[in-house]
Amino acid sequence: MGTNTTTRDEILGRLRDASRGELPKRPALPPLVELSWSREHLIEKFIENLVEQTAVVHRCKDYVTAADTLTEIATLHRLHKVLASTDGIIETLNLRAWAEKAGVNLFFARDFSDRDSYKDFVFDGAEAGITGVDYAIAESGTLCIVHDKNQPRLVSLAPITHIAVVPVERIYPVYEQVIENVFGKDRPPHSHVTFITGPSMTADIQGVPFKGMHGPKRLIVILVG
Amino acid sequence: MKVKTEQFTHVAEQELKNVRTRALLDYISSIIDARREEAMSSFSDPAAALAYGRAIRAEAIMRMPELLEEFEKKAAAHGAVVLWARDSKEANDIVLRLAKERGIRYVTKGKSMVTEEIGLNDVLKANGIEVFEADLGEFIAQLLERPPFHIVGPAINIPVDEICKIFLERGIMREPTTDPVALGAAARAFLRDKFHHLQMGITGVNMAVAETGTIINVENEGNIRFAKSSPRTQVSLMTLEKVVPTMNDAMHLLRLLCRNCTAQKISAYVSMDSGPKKADEIDGPEELFIIVIDNGRSRFYGDIQAREALRCIRCGACMYGCPVYMKIGGYPYGWAYSGPMGQVLNPLLLGLDKTQDLYRACTLCGKCKEICPSGIDHPKMFLSYRAKDVEGDEIYKGKRRSWKESAAVELLTWGIRRAWRWNLGAKATRPAINRYADDGKLKNIKGTFEGWFRSRDFPSMAERTFHERMDGRDSSETNHCRSEEEPTGKQCK
Repeated sequence: MGTNTTTRDEILGRLRDASRGELPKRPALPPLVELSWSREHLIEKFIENLVEQTAVVHRCKDYVTAADTLTEIATLHRLHKVLASTDGIIETLNLRAWAEKAGVNLFFARDFSDRDSYKDFVFDGAEAGITGVDYAIAESGTLCIVHDKNQPRLVSLAPITHIAVVPVERIYPVYEQVIENVFGKDRPPHSHVTFITGPSMTADIQGVPFKGMHGPKRLIVILVG
Repeated sequence: MKVKTEQFTHVAEQELKNVRTRALLDYISSIIDARREEAMSSFSDPAAALAYGRAIRAEAIMRMPELLEEFEKKAAAHGAVVLWARDSKEANDIVLRLAKERGIRYVTKGKSMVTEEIGLNDVLKANGIEVFEADLGEFIAQLLERPPFHIVGPAINIPVDEICKIFLERGIMREPTTDPVALGAAARAFLRDKFHHLQMGITGVNMAVAETGTIINVENEGNIRFAKSSPRTQVSLMTLEKVVPTMNDAMHLLRLLCRNCTAQKISAYVSMDSGPKKADEIDGPEELFIIVIDNGRSRFYGDIQAREALRCIRCGACMYGCPVYMKIGGYPYGWAYSGPMGQVLNPLLLGLDKTQDLYRACTLCGKCKEICPSGIDHPKMFLSYRAKDVEGDEIYKGKRRSWKESAAVELLTWGIRRAWRWNLGAKATRPAINRYADDGKLKNIKGTFEGWFRSRDFPSMAERTFHERMDGRDSSETNHCRSEEEPTGKQCK
């Protein structure tokens, strides 16, 4: 499809021809008090904000206990078939070994021959999606996932339960630092970046809030460290 | 969607009688200020945060042409295809062509006010392409063929029994229920299948970042994330004013948007696209089209006051703040945009002639201006629309008043400048005017001023003016009051 340059030039031309007016001076950027929080306070606030959105947060001292916690979660929610991403955190967790021990059928996106069979499984087969996260943000209890071949989009979206593994050192105070890391100068562009703060929700019927509208009904976060 | 802005008074009268809507709005009214203020108080300095957000919007609008160019360049460099549309027809034609070229049978749509503005659903449907609104509120509004009641909660006013009825009729569920959660689950199950086999997803855009060529969507349900993850083709529509300078600006506006919109620090999901998926990714769109729609905006961009309307970030706070909206709800406004933001935007997009009641249905209380995170001065704009309308402004399609009304106002303006003219005029016109008096009030004067009395009345003219009463005062009276001038029979003490 060709670009429609005439239309574009006509619209932009009209905008450019308009008198611009004087550029208003920006006031000072409001202070971001979160930047002065101690590490432990950052973790506390991150947990507090996430729990407020009904996420369940488990804090584990290392990846070994994180795997044990994952087993408990799998037992509690009777998980038999799960889909996981293959990002660095999930690799560190050694999920293959965990799944064998816990008796869970574990799948990765690469186990599927094509997009359609992967989609069939993520929509109809997987009982939970397990992912690492690239960043976490204390100011609002937000998980940030930078999607790529190891971090497919639907794993944290289509299954009814999303389990996210978050090393504490990935928690940052505010969005701006995460944005600098993801979108900063000389960084290769990422096609898709997601902020997740709690399970999918709505209040569209008479203002009654409930979770699990289209995406996960449960968000479980395993904090490591 | 059909423009029904000219039926404002009629629909408002009907809606005022809707007991359920009134009860809901009264309830929201009782809690909404406290919720928004609590959310804003999570800023360390709420006033500074508000001022900074307004400054970003002011700058974004002023720098719009250069920011749009930068956005286009960066987005294209990431592999997105940026297409421009002068008006609704061009925008709809582009989407239709993209769908037809790909043999698309149905699309899902995230909640997007611009697609309501351009009437995309009707065009796709007329051409055999099914559209499923995927935001729960829009989904319900679409089934009931209603316009959005509120830009954030499009069907928040619909009673559960009515939702149950339409869900049963359309086979969305089999067993009746009035539990909102169960109704939501039925919609989830129905739309999940659509997401699963989706080939083309349509979304709006909350912000388009010039610095990085990124589009950002803010939502709670996840339907937009599905539209960006499951299909091979993603089409995202935006109007000119969605562009913001930098990612950091977008982050600050995100904080303000969510706090003012739903009293959240942040919504459940924020998704940001810089181009389509990479070749080695298993999901996400293989092609990303971004359609930039003008639809009349560049025409009034040259008017520095009118362009202020473009600052709006669609948080919807002004609606729940408006004493008029909170009595009549969103339907009387008759189009995609309702409440104060609609009253500001619709006259510019549709013309002052077609939106007569919109910019007049305002008490000028200023609440919308006070809370607006974008810094729009709504009351000032309404006054300017009223003036432009009376003057018959050609660009904005002002209606102009009849020559009789204009002449009467001219005469009045001339008359009130000198006391003798006023006194003479008052004496001469009194009998003619008081012919219409009813119980001491003028409720209608046939002819010239008819419209004026639709929502107002005026005391009838006194038989004697104040000066006449003062001059003719009986000096023997000490109490400054004469009983025979008290028609109600009130006695002086």
